Amino acid sequence: MAVSARSFGARLRTAAWLGWQIESNWADPFVFVVYAVMRPLATALILAGMYWAVAGQAARRETFELFYLGNAFHIYVTQVLVGMGWLVVEEREEYETLKYVYASPIGMFTYLAGRSTVKMALATLSTLLVLLVGWFLLGIRWEWGAVAWAPLLLVLVLGMVASLYLGFLVAGVALLLPRAAIMLNEGLAVSLYLLCGVLFPIDLLPRGLQELALVLPFTHWYEALRRLLLGHGASARIGAWSDVTLLLVLLVTTVAFTFVSRWGYLALERRARQLGRLDQTSLF
Amino acid sequence: MSRLTDELVLNWRAMVGRTYVRIVGSIREPAWIIGDAVFPTLGMCAFVLLYRALGAPRSFEALAVIGGILSTYWINVLWGMGAQLYWEKQQGQLQLYFVAPCSRMAILSGMAIGGVLTTTLRTVFGIAIGFFVLGVRVEPFDPGQLALVFVASMAALYAMGMTLSSLFLLYGREAWHLSNAMLEPVYFLSGLYFPLRALGAVGAVAAGLLPLALGVDALRQVLLGADAHGLLPVGVETALLGGFAVVFLVLARFALRHLENLSKHEGRLTQRWQ
Repeated sequence: MAVSARSFGARLRTAAWLGWQIESNWADPFVFVVYAVMRPLATALILAGMYWAVAGQAARRETFELFYLGNAFHIYVTQVLVGMGWLVVEEREEYETLKYVYASPIGMFTYLAGRSTVKMALATLSTLLVLLVGWFLLGIRWEWGAVAWAPLLLVLVLGMVASLYLGFLVAGVALLLPRAAIMLNEGLAVSLYLLCGVLFPIDLLPRGLQELALVLPFTHWYEALRRLLLGHGASARIGAWSDVTLLLVLLVTTVAFTFVSRWGYLALERRARQLGRLDQTSLF
Repeated sequence: MSRLTDELVLNWRAMVGRTYVRIVGSIREPAWIIGDAVFPTLGMCAFVLLYRALGAPRSFEALAVIGGILSTYWINVLWGMGAQLYWEKQQGQLQLYFVAPCSRMAILSGMAIGGVLTTTLRTVFGIAIGFFVLGVRVEPFDPGQLALVFVASMAALYAMGMTLSSLFLLYGREAWHLSNAMLEPVYFLSGLYFPLRALGAVGAVAAGLLPLALGVDALRQVLLGADAHGLLPVGVETALLGGFAVVFLVLARFALRHLENLSKHEGRLTQRWQ
């Protein structure tokens, strides 16, 4: 058991190291970091621009901080969850190395997990920078003394686990559907942005979509982060729940999606292999 | 005289041929149609709903819808023009462009015209969502003025795309990363989802560098009047867009020639997976 864990750790480290080399080898470290944080930072600045534009005319301008916070943490979803779908596309289409990874003893699951650690680190850096922009430029602040650290830590971990494991599912779909993989990755990023109440309360969504949003762990993740850091959430519908209920719902949806994603990834990978799609390129 | 006529005919045919390929190619892959038409619209919806959540005046929602529609063109300029030669290089077809007897500018012009036409068709979805689902309304406007501003904006934008494509010719994977990095930052600097005026001096500088900023500001002024919170008068912005188009076309011509020679010299013209 201990040997197995050590072996897994070594493979994970190797995959993470390789991930860093692949992602950053086209630029020097400074340029790479600037590139990596530029997009999330620019999205934060777009929100800042919108806020500045309507600051004097908006009836509920005080709610802006709730959406800014949601946008900051949504970076994990964009970079880790969707990024894992992109890993498959890059390995298969651009570098044409997916078959070698698949055939190597590291194993696809461990490889993807290792590669995702680099994405997780970059997402953390971007989120911190976006929060700093909010803190200093837009005055989006909270009382550090009033923060309940244990629940916050739990919520942060749950969100990251949800991003990682749903990422496996996205990677599995990318393995099975080579031609549609890029579109699915792009679509998922923007759909989750719209569905999970990142920039507005889910109450503004039509019925049906609201129910779908309530099934997704990220909806509860953003609401929990808002409550724990800023004191209240954005959605009136979820607002009726107590903090404990919200945490429980987040826990249950995350655990459920984790199991479904793990099972789903393995099933999709197996199916992709059966259909001969693991190495089916469609672009270059 | 005859030789000049022959050259004009040759380049005209090359341009029409590339336009045809762009149009046919873009409808051959249904998944790309969804990606180009639907996804930018979903992003636009999120920004419109943010204005709604903040209780902002309804005119700001119209402002965001117009910006969202124009984002489709910018995506096409970046990926369909700027990065096109990179795609061709990856597919092993770039050398065909260089052995063809026609001008590379004719090929790029065909790509631009085809790009505008296909993207315009795809914006119909965004317009429908903006007006019929989100309930956005515009002021009565002059269609002639709208057409003039639109044509000037597209000419400037796609001429910029031609310049970018020549720059990307030299680079490999950096082209991909550069295209990625030029999405949200340019949306911000162009005031795509808010009036450019909100950025103050930064907005004025951006308007002097980015045709998208001027184009979106001018189109909003035509469609929303005073609610657009415009930066400069529409006439001035249209003239500046025309100037941008000329400058970028000249720049593209020189950059293409220079970078073609440079990439041949460095042996990178047909180098894949770099």
